[in-house]
Amino acid sequence: MNRLSSARIFWVSMALLGAWFIVALASLNIGSVSIPVRTSLKLLTGHLTGNPIADPLDSVIFSVRLPRVLLGSLVGAALATAGAAFQSLLRNPLADPYVLGVSTGASMGTILYSVLASWLGYMANMGGAVYARPLAAFLGAAFTVGAVYVIAGSDRSGETSQRLLLAGIVLASFLSSINVFLLTSTNQADLRGIFYWLIGDLSRPVDASIYPVTFLVFAGSLLLYRFSHSLNLIGMGEIDAMILGVEVGRVKTVVYIIASLITGAVVSVSGPIAYIGLICPHLARMMFGNDNRILFPTVFVFGAIFTLVADTLARTVLSPAELPVGIVTALCGAPLFVYLLRRKARA
Amino acid sequence: MTSVMLEARNLSFSYQRPIVRDISFSLEAGTITGIIGPNGSGKTTALRLLSGIISPLSGDVLLWGDRPLSKMKRKEIARHIAMVPQNGGVYQYQTVFQFAIQGRSPHLSLLGFESPADEEITMEALEMTQLTRYIRSRVSEISGGEKQRLLLARALVQQTEILLLDEFTANLDINYQVELLRLVRRITRERNLTTLVVSHEINLLGAFSDRIILMSQGEIRHHGSVQEALTQEHLSQMFSLNFSTRLLPDGNVEVLPIITKDALNNN
Repeated sequence: MNRLSSARIFWVSMALLGAWFIVALASLNIGSVSIPVRTSLKLLTGHLTGNPIADPLDSVIFSVRLPRVLLGSLVGAALATAGAAFQSLLRNPLADPYVLGVSTGASMGTILYSVLASWLGYMANMGGAVYARPLAAFLGAAFTVGAVYVIAGSDRSGETSQRLLLAGIVLASFLSSINVFLLTSTNQADLRGIFYWLIGDLSRPVDASIYPVTFLVFAGSLLLYRFSHSLNLIGMGEIDAMILGVEVGRVKTVVYIIASLITGAVVSVSGPIAYIGLICPHLARMMFGNDNRILFPTVFVFGAIFTLVADTLARTVLSPAELPVGIVTALCGAPLFVYLLRRKARA
Repeated sequence: MTSVMLEARNLSFSYQRPIVRDISFSLEAGTITGIIGPNGSGKTTALRLLSGIISPLSGDVLLWGDRPLSKMKRKEIARHIAMVPQNGGVYQYQTVFQFAIQGRSPHLSLLGFESPADEEITMEALEMTQLTRYIRSRVSEISGGEKQRLLLARALVQQTEILLLDEFTANLDINYQVELLRLVRRITRERNLTTLVVSHEINLLGAFSDRIILMSQGEIRHHGSVQEALTQEHLSQMFSLNFSTRLLPDGNVEVLPIITKDALNNN
């Protein structure tokens, strides 16, 4: 038997982190200016040991590429983890924050916040703004989850899970229109930037809100891990999970809140990047099986790696022009969605 | 002295209408009790109340006669009470072994993993239910009867003192039903379990149970030995049909519904 143990999970996670490091290094080196690995390693160790080396490439790596590599990793890890959580909850491999409309709801929260903040002018300058934007995104995400549930309704026939997905897709397209309406009506200067952000984009510079966002993603993912085995049991059915000692109602509520929270947090920075929460759990399951206790940690790193690769492609394929990363993930994700849908129909 | 393992005290429950009305009974260690009643008589709800999955509107379920389930955590309940639900959950991607070992969950710590001892307990239950040759098969690949055995195995893996079985043998052929109930009876005796079985198979329950509870319209009509419970009078009242009953030499009761041509035409 391939027994699951904390040691196994630790080593698998370490190996994946190693893979992430290699991909991150490669991503630092690839771009409009290509930087040899040796140079970037030298510059990195210089910074880590406190003796930065004067080099013109230093600012390319540390002001431009490294923040983006870290941001991409964070966003990917969060969306992939949220995807795995939603899939367990809804017992449907097609669930994902983007498909369920949660990402779009979070972006609506973010946009509403910016609109309100610009009306109220001074608010944006207050310290609380750092927390306010991710919070607004979370409220948007939570609102969407609630609305999806109300639209889908509930019954005992077991069809609810499919209807939830449909409701999510419908709501996402509705909220997208509201988003575009809000943005167009407020006379924003940077239309191209906004357009990219709506597709999911990592090229915009981050502000101080990245700190609470980072904290939320790590704390939320750790908390989710605590529920990983309960979610395994809920996968069999709620009655079965209760029989085996799971407080199903409480677990579901907490997991919904956390998954919405980490989705909202990263979407407030990167915009709704499509399908990461669909692709990464699928890959992780193929490699490590369906047990959430190994899926959650591995999918976290998988999300980081996948998003890094996608973003590196996004900024190099049409170089010197850049694509939003959401285009690349949607190009991979949509066919996978169709494949999973057809496989589910056959099962 | 009798040892009361599980006691229902004045249990009531309603959804839109009353489902279970003020039922009380107690179950003793080492015995099998069968619940018989028409559809909608509240049998499944009674079982769910006893397992603590749903909470009664009034009354309480007491473990060992003095510990109310309402004061216990779900995980603690699951270490004492196992249930095989009707249409029990099935996770098609799991193997038979992975499915069965989930019965250890109530015994695991929060971030714990199954130990070799847990695997041994699981293998033992799979041997008992004759599923060892399927351990690597996916749950979606085994037959209906094997699935029922797998659900029983998962319940045994929980290592509880109390076992609740809901419509456990539905949709299985008669030979399979007898085989499964024989297994349940053997395990009940060997492990001194307290077993409660809900079924529509009156003759089977009569043959395998020590005690019978008759339920209709959410109330207990009779609770007693097989011979006391399965009488023409009781059964006719419950199912609005005539029955013939015959006491067999070994003490079992044979029950036959009498369905006349008149009864078929007379709507």
